[in-house]
Amino acid sequence: MITNLFYFLSFVAVLSALMVVFSRNPVYSVLYLIITFFAIAGHYVLMQAEFLAVVHVIVYAGAIMVLFLYVIMLLNLNRESEPHKSNILKFAAAICSGLLLVVLVGSLRGTELLKHSEAGEVSSTMGGVKNLGKVLFTDFLFPFEIASVLLLAAMVGVVMLAKAEKKTNL
Amino acid sequence: MNALLIVCGLGFISLVAEIINLKKGLHIAIVLGLVVAVAAVIGDWNTSATFFNNMLIFDPFSVAFTCLIIVVGIFWFCLTSPFFIGESHQTDRTALIIFTMVGGIMMVSFHNMAILFLGIEILSISLYVLAGSHKESFFSNEAAFKYFIMGSFATGFLLMGIALVYGATGSFDTSEITMHIEGHKAGLPGFFYVGILLMLVGLAFKISVVPFHFWAPDVYAGSPTMITAFMSTVVKIAAVGAFYKIFGLCFFSVQMSVLPIIQGIIILTLLVANIIAVYQNNVKRMLAYSSIAHVGYMLLGFISGSVKFEGILFFYLASYATTSLIAFGILYAIENAKGSTSIDAVKGLYNQNPFAATCMTIALLSLAGIPPFAGFFSKYLIFGSAIEADHIMLVIVAVVTSLVGVYYYFKPIIYMFSPAQASDKLYLSAVQKAFLGMLTAAALLLGLLPEWIITILS
Amino acid sequence: MVNINVLITLIPLLPLLGFLIIALNVHKISHKKSSYLACGTILFSFILSITVFTHLLSLPADQRVLSITLVSWIQTSGFSADIAFLIDPLSSIMLLIITGVGFLIHVYSIGYMHDDAGYSRFFSYLNLFVFFMLLLVMGANYLLMFVGWEGVGLCSYLLIGFWFKNHDYNKAANKAFIMNRIGDLGLLLGVILIFINFGSIDYQTVFTNPSEVEVTTLTWITVLLFIGAMGKSAQIPLYTWLPDAMAGPTPVSALIHAATMVTAGVYMVARNNVLYALSPFTLQLILITGLATALFAATIALVQNDIKKVLAYSTVSQLGLMFVALGLGAFSSGIFHMATHAFFKALLFLGAGSVIHALRGEQDIRKMGGLKKLLPVTYITFFVAVLAISGIPPFAGFFSKDEILAHAFAYNPFVWGVALIASLLTVFYMFRLFYLTFYGTARDEKQTMDHIHDAPKSMAIPLIVLAVLSITGGFMNTPEVLLGSSWLQKFLSPVFASASGIEIHHLSHTTEYVLMALVVALTLVVIGIVYVQYVKKGHVPAGEGRLTGIQKVLYHKYYIDEFYDIIIVKPLFWISKTGDTIVEALAIDGIVNSMGRLVTGSSNVLRKLQTGSIGFYIFIMVIGIIMILTLTTLTGVAGQ
Repeated sequence: MITNLFYFLSFVAVLSALMVVFSRNPVYSVLYLIITFFAIAGHYVLMQAEFLAVVHVIVYAGAIMVLFLYVIMLLNLNRESEPHKSNILKFAAAICSGLLLVVLVGSLRGTELLKHSEAGEVSSTMGGVKNLGKVLFTDFLFPFEIASVLLLAAMVGVVMLAKAEKKTNL
Repeated sequence: MNALLIVCGLGFISLVAEIINLKKGLHIAIVLGLVVAVAAVIGDWNTSATFFNNMLIFDPFSVAFTCLIIVVGIFWFCLTSPFFIGESHQTDRTALIIFTMVGGIMMVSFHNMAILFLGIEILSISLYVLAGSHKESFFSNEAAFKYFIMGSFATGFLLMGIALVYGATGSFDTSEITMHIEGHKAGLPGFFYVGILLMLVGLAFKISVVPFHFWAPDVYAGSPTMITAFMSTVVKIAAVGAFYKIFGLCFFSVQMSVLPIIQGIIILTLLVANIIAVYQNNVKRMLAYSSIAHVGYMLLGFISGSVKFEGILFFYLASYATTSLIAFGILYAIENAKGSTSIDAVKGLYNQNPFAATCMTIALLSLAGIPPFAGFFSKYLIFGSAIEADHIMLVIVAVVTSLVGVYYYFKPIIYMFSPAQASDKLYLSAVQKAFLGMLTAAALLLGLLPEWIITILS
Repeated sequence: MVNINVLITLIPLLPLLGFLIIALNVHKISHKKSSYLACGTILFSFILSITVFTHLLSLPADQRVLSITLVSWIQTSGFSADIAFLIDPLSSIMLLIITGVGFLIHVYSIGYMHDDAGYSRFFSYLNLFVFFMLLLVMGANYLLMFVGWEGVGLCSYLLIGFWFKNHDYNKAANKAFIMNRIGDLGLLLGVILIFINFGSIDYQTVFTNPSEVEVTTLTWITVLLFIGAMGKSAQIPLYTWLPDAMAGPTPVSALIHAATMVTAGVYMVARNNVLYALSPFTLQLILITGLATALFAATIALVQNDIKKVLAYSTVSQLGLMFVALGLGAFSSGIFHMATHAFFKALLFLGAGSVIHALRGEQDIRKMGGLKKLLPVTYITFFVAVLAISGIPPFAGFFSKDEILAHAFAYNPFVWGVALIASLLTVFYMFRLFYLTFYGTARDEKQTMDHIHDAPKSMAIPLIVLAVLSITGGFMNTPEVLLGSSWLQKFLSPVFASASGIEIHHLSHTTEYVLMALVVALTLVVIGIVYVQYVKKGHVPAGEGRLTGIQKVLYHKYYIDEFYDIIIVKPLFWISKTGDTIVEALAIDGIVNSMGRLVTGSSNVLRKLQTGSIGFYIFIMVIGIIMILTLTTLTGVAGQ
């Protein structure tokens, strides 16, 4: 059952990811991306990482995608305004990304060794909220706190870039 | 350790200063705060301790590099007051610079991959914005955007690399990773090596080596000049420090798998960066390529695996940061006076301001590796250790390319000493003069006392 | 009590500091400030040198070596060099001379240069010179000595060409520089040989086991080092730069080309006495060179009419005498003569400077005369110096010269004879110079004579101090026959201990007395002849046109300059010109230019990769990643 579910979710994820790239309308692309995220959230659930799944849906499929949609609508992207790309470039890009895929997949063989190493022995409750919270506030307290600096820096940066300039002579 | 907290605190202080309207004394307060931070670092000297459940480590290496980052930061702040004072975004800019330094300190003192990643991100995100801090300038915007997109791309690879390494070793902690590698030398899965290579790619982007350097010339040339100076000094120290901590310490026992790749990168970097620099007519862009080339020399020292490499690297970075701060500091003054950093703008500098021309000449000579300046000894030590490690071919490439380097470093010098058309003087404030003078003296002193610096770290 | 190491370190650093401060503010600093700064730093160094010297004296004789390492400078496997100082009796004596005489000359320059446009520049160079000279004598290894060696050469070049607007002076400066380069090459090769054979360039390591190296190699090393000394100390055949070097301001001639820098060669040979002691061939070579130079230069000086040229050739001749002492293995006598020579030759130059100053730049002794009354201070002090250089007891020169002559006699009466002739010639030309300048009738234009004035205070005081030193300086090494204790020789003996293997003959006291009496009597006879010739008969040397035979040859300095011009300079020019047109233009330029074109060409191509398009950049990055991953997988480095 779980295996079937895994293949189903994977199929949905890959398919909708491909659709993100191939669909001509940017709004459709965004919608496909949301589907991809949901599929991936499903994978998290399969791996007993419920918290991650929820966060994934809320942050990515929720907040970020809404932002994307707004931006796309504001920019009024459509087929006509899309800059022309030469076929050679497209071809090169396709070959390039294809190669990258092949190489990455190729180099990832050997993953089955994982189950022999200690890293494979994960407890089933590891992804739970309780466990995660415990780790976050004990072992990973410092990264958790210092992430605030990261967010603050990003926020200050956005404010600085977005704020209207009083003087013009910079 | 306390230094990191102090520097963090300074960032918050500068943000609070905006709210309570205390902008006037902010610049000086920040400099003083950084001095306190240096004192705090020096207090950690010769102690070696980990903090926050092994998240951070302050061993001699981290302490020395933290110290270097903050000291260079102080000099940078003192040379850059026009960039802040009287500007509408003074506090924001100050805070972002400070946060960049926080990221930098984390990058040289991490003991956990999570901290490495957070450090890189704090540093990068602040830098993306700073690169675009001249909002009216098209080039500045372009630089910020390019840096952002390509930086995110590189971060992706780095993260994937960290994930794969975690998958293979089961830990983010660097010493646990090292121990795991030691214990499972034969049985490491293939994707572990892929992880290492992806991390190499991510970090190679951050230290801007060929072929992951393409962002650097555009970003360096487009950013405000003093931000460029910051990138090529403080940021470079942090990035190279992180690179060494990962590949020199954490992955030490599997170094063999990346060395051939790094050798290729070195050859490409030295050739491409030095050769393209020849054609540049903009001093700022030339310095950008020079900064790429210098990382090539540092990597040459890295693969030589000398026992004194930590010391040599520290010396190299200190002398490089000193001299490039001088060069950028003067270039900044020229840009403010003439609105350009092209090679024609430095023409006749000697007549306009002999002091600036002298400092600039010393800086360029040092960058070119002419004795008795610091740059000579840093290159000499690198070449020496590379020869000992039998990398003769690489040394030949390095020597030939540094000869090419002499050509493009001398071009501005010749321009500076040629007679000027316009007789307008270049004005340097007393503070700028004092600090440029100190940096120049340091460039000379470092040339006289290389051993002294190197033995700090051995 | 301050740590003695700190004091030693400060000795060279103070002049450097003075140089830096003056040089960085050369246009802004007032004359007064720069002179106070320059003199003050040297004075302080001098006081420190005395402190160090007394500290050394307070130690037992066999422990009088202080060596301090400031920093290790260069350290790679197989080669290391430290910035380290070595203070032993030899270098402490050198320190005293350099800082002491240097200080007096600094003070003198205040008056001499007072209205020169390059006043501050002058003092900054002087300070820099003192710094390098101190580095040369204090360095504890060959590298540091070499740095000082090159540095003093540079300063000498800067100071000879100080009045750089005069083209001839620039030529003189170039000549000095190039001649010195030839010597320096020898020195450098010598040092390299030392490093190859001893594996170190540290004095103490090299001197511990010199006999481990073959004698042939040692001979090569010592000869090469001596070639360096030839250049710096103006010995045949590299001496012609020194008389030309008189183009510089007179205090420079006094400090650099008489008292200190030219003695660097003597110091260097004395420092390496351990090596020289093992190489009899080189000692022989030094002896012959020194003897030839002493005689040769003395004869030239006989007919020169330029006051400074006479003194310059006299310096060359006296340096020759010092090398005679070194060649005889009597190292301490050489150093002794160097010390007394520093006093009276500096005094002679400063006195000459005072005359030139009073006569507004006149240097031709035929136009002087009758200055005895007009310049009393200069007259008296100059007289003291002339007596000292002539070796009249009890002036300083008597003791030092007598010691060398005694050693020469003991070694070989022929050597003694030649040295004696050289020193009698010295007496002749010095008194000739003295009488022509100060006695007889005034021969300069009346206008100058009316406005003449003696040396101002800042110039007079150094003259007087040096005069006192010229009178008393000899007593530091009064020989036992004259009821003295040979103090200097005993003080220096630890340094030259290992050189004691050389057989130094000792004369019986009777022989020594006879010799002394003979020399003094002959000296007096020569003085009498000169007196009759130039004072009684009032003879004034003729102009160039009326010179005859041997005089003409001497006046033209044996045509050595012309000779060098024909056999060295012209062919060299020819070679370089041919080289320029054929080798350079066709081969070298062709290769170099095509390399240059290759670089700029490829630069232009590579530059175009930097298109500015993000898509392209990422494309290249991805290709890079693919390359890395495939290469690693294919080569199988990754652990499989």
